[in-house]
Amino acid sequence: MTNEKKNGKIRAGVAVNIIGAIVILLAVFGVVVSFIGYASFTTAFKEEYAVSTYHMADTATTLINGDHLDAYLAGDEAEEYERTQNYLDVYCKKISVSLIYLIQVDRSDYGRFVSIFNSVDNSVDDSTYTPWELGHERDTTNDEYRQKYEALYAGESAYETVYRTKVSGGVHPHVTTMVPVKNSSGEVVGILCMQRPMREIHDAQRPYLRRVAVSTVLLAVVASVFAALFIRRQFVKPIRKVANETARFAKENTKGEPLRGISRYRELAALAESIDTMETDMVSYIENLTEVTAEKERIGAEMTLASEIQMNSIPNVFPAFPERRDFDIFASMDPAREVGGDFYNFFMIDDDRIAMMIGDVSGKGVPAALFMMVTNILVSDRTYMGGTPAEILEFVNVNICAHNKAEMFVTVWLGILELSTGKLTASNAGHEYPVIKRADGSFEILRDKHGFVIGGLAESKYKDYELTLSPGDKIFVYTDGVPEATDAENNLFGQQRMLDALNGAADETPEQILNNVRREVDAFVKDAEQFDDLTMLCIEYKGQGEEKNDH
Amino acid sequence: MLNINKTVENGKAVFALEGRLDTVTAPDLENEVMGSIEDVNELTLDFAGLDYISSAGLRVLLAAQKKMKGRGSMTVTNVNGSIMDIFEVTGFSEILTIE
Repeated sequence: MTNEKKNGKIRAGVAVNIIGAIVILLAVFGVVVSFIGYASFTTAFKEEYAVSTYHMADTATTLINGDHLDAYLAGDEAEEYERTQNYLDVYCKKISVSLIYLIQVDRSDYGRFVSIFNSVDNSVDDSTYTPWELGHERDTTNDEYRQKYEALYAGESAYETVYRTKVSGGVHPHVTTMVPVKNSSGEVVGILCMQRPMREIHDAQRPYLRRVAVSTVLLAVVASVFAALFIRRQFVKPIRKVANETARFAKENTKGEPLRGISRYRELAALAESIDTMETDMVSYIENLTEVTAEKERIGAEMTLASEIQMNSIPNVFPAFPERRDFDIFASMDPAREVGGDFYNFFMIDDDRIAMMIGDVSGKGVPAALFMMVTNILVSDRTYMGGTPAEILEFVNVNICAHNKAEMFVTVWLGILELSTGKLTASNAGHEYPVIKRADGSFEILRDKHGFVIGGLAESKYKDYELTLSPGDKIFVYTDGVPEATDAENNLFGQQRMLDALNGAADETPEQILNNVRREVDAFVKDAEQFDDLTMLCIEYKGQGEEKNDH
Repeated sequence: MLNINKTVENGKAVFALEGRLDTVTAPDLENEVMGSIEDVNELTLDFAGLDYISSAGLRVLLAAQKKMKGRGSMTVTNVNGSIMDIFEVTGFSEILTIE
């Protein structure tokens, strides 16, 4: 509907167009038929007229004595002339012709003739002729007559005919038939002309034309009605059905009555079938899409919840230990997707010892997240149970290897800091090197002893290492999402940029340090998609003295 | 983007890698390696063209290493500096035969 308005050029319906075309065609047809019919009618009529008039004229010549024509002109044989003239007059009336006249043509150029007999019957055709007298001379009317006279005198034809069908000035259509008059020795001595009205032609013309016109109009009307009905039933209705169905379908998006069978014409049947197919396909597509969308929404909702659960499985409220003056800790985790395979964790094992860990599961997304949850719980629980980091990691490794069908693995750095002494015991299971900053120095990579990743081999052994922190010392641990952050050109952020970022805020609080690294990473990566989970943890050891001297 | 050039001959398989072995491309390598080392007893991974390896890539190495264990040998060759660092950090340098 809107389309119709927009284009403003939608033509009238198919039926109207086709019916209009039929009417015009029939009208043209009618005119052509009338013309041809009229022409052949006229020709046949004229021929018939010529022949019958010839016979009449030929009969009239038998009344005339061809041997005495010159005598009549000379005034002799008056009695015979009189008698012949009377016969012709009677004949003229009897056969209903306007004129019968006998002329002798000047044979030098057929340009003049002299009248001998002349009978007139004005009653036949409402004419106003006056009879020519004997010896009345006249010029030949025109060249047509001249040629015909000549032909007759030469004996070339039995008769000649002149038609006057298109006439004016009170003269009606007529035919003039001329026959030669011969003397006893067979010579042509004169020409007898008979003018016969052709009223019938004129009178028949109008009714004939009217009949043709009326029948053409009737035929056109009947044909149009039939065409209209036919088109409406065979084309317009099916097309409307298709249009209604598609409009309904567009609104309701449900499978409707099948259109198959609405027409027995191949094109319309094909159209109907393709619409049926389209509807079926669309409906199943829509169902599919709805399902997929619902599924996506469900997954989306679940992922949001999963993300929340994951983020809440690690300490994420800072400051985490507002009452502690002897250390400051901050950590952050940004999964590349809703959930990630990275984790950090820290907690007080007892009043004097804090455990810190960071881990990175191979892979990303949900599998990595599940693996991360298991690892985090195992490491944390085992840590509470006591033992050195190496013992804890060995225990965790054995347990994970026992159930690791997916052959995933996780790198873990685990450290336990004794706050009273600053003694840090740590173990590294394939994780990135920690970074350490001594109170009076800058952040430097700590190339610690490395064990194999957890989950790789059940027999992996891990080693502890110890170092003592002094007040103001900081430890920074991270996952490879930091040095391997990638920009749009596939350049890595790299260890050096990370160290620079750390040292750019070396004397700030752990929170500010992490924020600074994050800022630098973001500035480097720019618009490129975050590819890997990005996790960092930083602790600043302040020591007991710091607590006492706190202002 | 990772191109894998595979040649298998008389039980010796060489996989020459080019590009990045990360989360996206690791499954390709895993399929290629796991699908064609049934009758292989000498597996070589040529890292000459490899720029980067992620933990997902390490996982494929570990899986391949486990599969080759007891059946033959697996060697990683032409490892560049940064990948060697990763091997060292993760402890893979301890368990892999690197030449």
